[in-house]
Amino acid sequence: MNKIKHFVSKLLKDYFNEEDKKELINILTLSLEEKVEDLVEQGTPVDEAIKKSIQEFGNTDDILEAYPEKTKRRKKLLNDRKSQFFFSFFGYLLIVGLAIFINLNFLDFFLNFKWFVVVIIGVFFWPLVMLYRFLISKR
Amino acid sequence: MIHSDVIRGHIDTIILKLLLESDMYGYEIANEIKLRTNNKFNIKEATLYSVVGRLESRELIVSYTGEKTHGGKRRYYRVTSLGKAYYKEMIQEWMLLREIMIDMLGSDLGE
Repeated sequence: MNKIKHFVSKLLKDYFNEEDKKELINILTLSLEEKVEDLVEQGTPVDEAIKKSIQEFGNTDDILEAYPEKTKRRKKLLNDRKSQFFFSFFGYLLIVGLAIFINLNFLDFFLNFKWFVVVIIGVFFWPLVMLYRFLISKR
Repeated sequence: MIHSDVIRGHIDTIILKLLLESDMYGYEIANEIKLRTNNKFNIKEATLYSVVGRLESRELIVSYTGEKTHGGKRRYYRVTSLGKAYYKEMIQEWMLLREIMIDMLGSDLGE
């Protein structure tokens, strides 16, 4: 029966807060176990009953179907993260462009020191972090 | 087979209706739906059990542990008075939807 709990836990891995998740795992596991018991009573071998129940159960999307607001919130989060990334990317281009312009235009004043390279590398972490955040939530 | 988007909002009502007839456990509900709809509406068990869990957390149904006629224990569900009231409300809503659709599509129906 541990196989069933493991299967259900895996489906819910990236969703819900800990408390809700625990409860939902309990309910789903219990219902699945009851199905297995019913099938066994009707004469199906245990291993086969477990396999059949798991196959017929459905996937994560089928569970989320019962939570329309969850799907909506997930879409919103993805959209937010995406626009945050684009914002940081264009912000990066703007800052870097300005740095290069100032640096090269007043090169004599800065004693020929090309410090804009430092800005390019330093500020690059901003869009990088945003991209990483976007990709994490997309997973 | 019906598209799940169309029927999504009515799964609650269907489950409440079945539980009002008699207390059932999860798999029994799934079976009963399959039986009555002749497989026209094939709800995934993952969805069904999740909806049942939701109904319970909204206190429209409560669960209790009961013995099966022969053999092991099962977790049965019973409709609360809050659930009954909600069910009546949903029926009103469904009648309204039905009326609207008939008003709109009336002349094309039943051909």
